[in-house]
Amino acid sequence: MNIGRIWNSLANPRRIPRLFALILGLILLIGFFIPISLNDHQLYPRPTPQSQINDQNPLAPYDRGGSPFEETGIVRAQYPQNSIELGQITAYLTPIAIGVKDSTYYFGTSILSSPGGLIDEILYYTRGFDTILESSILMMAFVIASWVALHFTMKRDEEGDEKP
Amino acid sequence: MDLATIGGQLLGTIPLGDIVLYLTPFNLFMFGGTLAFTTLIAISRTETQVEAEFGTLKDKEVKVNLEEFKIRRFLAIVCGLATAGAMITGDLFNFTLFVTLIGIVNIGIVSAVRQVDVLNAAFQYGLIAMMASLPLFGGAAVLLASTGTLSLLEIVKLPYVTSMMTFGSLLLLMGIIGETGVAPFYATKAEMFRTPGSPFILIIHLSSLLVIVRAIEVLLIINKPF
Repeated sequence: MNIGRIWNSLANPRRIPRLFALILGLILLIGFFIPISLNDHQLYPRPTPQSQINDQNPLAPYDRGGSPFEETGIVRAQYPQNSIELGQITAYLTPIAIGVKDSTYYFGTSILSSPGGLIDEILYYTRGFDTILESSILMMAFVIASWVALHFTMKRDEEGDEKP
Repeated sequence: MDLATIGGQLLGTIPLGDIVLYLTPFNLFMFGGTLAFTTLIAISRTETQVEAEFGTLKDKEVKVNLEEFKIRRFLAIVCGLATAGAMITGDLFNFTLFVTLIGIVNIGIVSAVRQVDVLNAAFQYGLIAMMASLPLFGGAAVLLASTGTLSLLEIVKLPYVTSMMTFGSLLLLMGIIGETGVAPFYATKAEMFRTPGSPFILIIHLSSLLVIVRAIEVLLIINKPF
């Protein structure tokens, strides 16, 4: 096959997402043949799956133990010297959350467990900068979407670009 | 291998909890360059294109109106800051988030245009950027599972490279290629540049160039070929 033809076919923007999806699919297929290796010294330790649920713990699967300002829960940091107060408030529950916890076994998986119920110190303390970035990505998406909606850039007839 | 092989001597770190930004001459140069370019963009005005038609003497000026100018300048500055952040971050997940921010803002800069071809190309680029977020975050997750850490300063100390780590970095590279739209997937971005408003369009170009350079440094740190 002529290589010039291949290059030319790459110049059409409509074909590019399909090409990307094809290459990505091939790479993901290669992934099935890669031997899985898991590092046992994981940064954020988790209890055995389902163990908290089998214990009928209402905070499952997010129970990290500890009590607020007295005993630290099991939250580990990569650099403990940078977050000295880690684990102090991870067990804090609001009065509403305590009420829900006492009345059902499924508090941990309900919407109440975040963010008012169980405070995720990994999210808001040790990796807080990531949370800031995530919400700014969301904000930019809303800025763009609302600008496009308000100014309606797809009103194509206005400048006679395209006949209806 | 250590950081000094690639980026030069480690000048210092900025600790933000577990996310530690590190400064080497290589990173600082790109960080400063991006900030300088962003400042130039923030104080400049847009160009005006002139479209000539065959067979007539009517030349059409394509101008950028004030509202479009404002939103594009805002998004271009955000894109510049995100690029600058991606240059000095020392955390893998933080880096992927910066790249995602660059990707979504690039679409925004172009989406304010009223040219059908450009909007169609931006739509195709948006499709790639959406697909690319799977390998981008998936690659970071695979690397977290296989190394046990996300900090580049810790990954560089690991004495071994497993094939899982290589696969994770391959996924990461695929995600970055998709978000920045380089080499074989360049056609969508090339169409996007055909629009007035030059200095803001240029930040799309500059961000992808710098992110690719930084991504190569990250991949070398993970895979340690020498």
